[in-house]
Amino acid sequence: MQRFRFPGGRGRVTRVRLDGVSYRYGRRGAWVLRDVSLDLPAGGTAVVLGRNGVGKSTLLQLAAGVLRPSAGAVRERPGPVGWVPERFPADQPFTVDGYLAAMARVQRVADPAAVGVWIDRLGLTPYRATRLGELSKGTAQKVGLAQALIPGPRLLVLDEPWEGLDAAARDLVPAIVGEVTAAGGIVLVSDHRGETGRLPGATTWTVAGGTVTPGEATPGETAIIEIAVPAAEAEDAAAALRAAGHDVVAVRAKASV
Amino acid sequence: MGALVRMRLAAFTRGGRALPGLLGTLVVVGIIYGGGRSEAAEAYGFSAVALFPVIAWQAKLLLDTEPDVQRRLAVAVVGPRREVTAGLLAAAVVGLATVAFAMVLPWLFGSVTGPAGIAPGLWAHVAGLVAAVGLGALASRPVTRSTLYGIAVLVTGSVLAIVLGLNGSVAPWLAPPLMATARRLADQPGSASIATLTLQAVLWTAVVVAIYVRLRRTRS
Repeated sequence: MQRFRFPGGRGRVTRVRLDGVSYRYGRRGAWVLRDVSLDLPAGGTAVVLGRNGVGKSTLLQLAAGVLRPSAGAVRERPGPVGWVPERFPADQPFTVDGYLAAMARVQRVADPAAVGVWIDRLGLTPYRATRLGELSKGTAQKVGLAQALIPGPRLLVLDEPWEGLDAAARDLVPAIVGEVTAAGGIVLVSDHRGETGRLPGATTWTVAGGTVTPGEATPGETAIIEIAVPAAEAEDAAAALRAAGHDVVAVRAKASV
Repeated sequence: MGALVRMRLAAFTRGGRALPGLLGTLVVVGIIYGGGRSEAAEAYGFSAVALFPVIAWQAKLLLDTEPDVQRRLAVAVVGPRREVTAGLLAAAVVGLATVAFAMVLPWLFGSVTGPAGIAPGLWAHVAGLVAAVGLGALASRPVTRSTLYGIAVLVTGSVLAIVLGLNGSVAPWLAPPLMATARRLADQPGSASIATLTLQAVLWTAVVVAIYVRLRRTRS
């Protein structure tokens, strides 16, 4: 298999620095993030933790330059930036090959082999001629990962990579993250399921209540809520609660109450 | 940026979204030239007015083609300024193709006379085209967010552009100079000069595009 070399430390900007960044949707919207200041140096990996809807995606998109801060600024950001959205927009009239080639041109990728290398490595070869809309969710997500990796990003932003990708690709992510950081790049990952263990050595940040604090959230006091659902829906309900970031302690039949 | 313009044009034409605009153009051309031979300058003046809503609609369709997340991916790659510019350029390319189609077709069927009218006709169409792209951008999903608001902006803008441009309008300067251009090409007495009309078209488009750019700063 052909290897892909992430470009080394070209350019002067080597860190990502957020300076008093605040964000809200629209002029009258509620603040999603307030006065966030962060610094991530070259070669660093940060995992952003927090419940669903708390602003992790917003923080990642601000860092990637997708969203513009309502106040404050992102002072430094190395390029090229690779952003992998939580859900790849598959509703586009392109084949996998056509889409990735077009994105590579938009990204001004100099190495013509880069597209093929990532198609091969992510296991997309059988789908090259498949239209994006016909891909399974996991495969579409791999196309999202490929477009971000093709330019050899110096800042790679992954929004919930453990969520959308299939098992094989999930196992690939730590290796890819390692290659980006080894070349002096920076990786930012969001994770609401607490799979941080996959990225040893990463800094962790926790988003809650509009602010970002270093480290994992201290558990503090927990409360246990008992919920009764029809037995047939138990599995779905538990999955939904886990997806919302809750810790499902047990699922049992109601008879014992 | 050229690559992003090409990618958007490819998505627009492949998705079948180009068809409504093409049909709209055919209807406009059919109505204007269906009645018999007419003098080029005068016919082109009316054609530029009638194509204004069609080109604005096409611009909206083109800018709406891209899923929101794909537009954000483009922002991450080329930056917000180039992303916005590439969208406007792609819409202008589609508008130019429409203008070329609408101007050439009547010659093929021998419905127009007087080649002297071609240059002023082209000027009228281009002035209408840039203004239409501005209106279509203002009506596009990234700005209006809902189909209902989008259509409301498109229809209101198109109607006002024509009504405010009528003879004796209270505020002709509020609209792009479509009607005034048509009157000028029909050589009506008291028509404004070409320089004045060009200036008005440029100013109107500049204001509308500035509003679009301003709104896109907070709406992605």
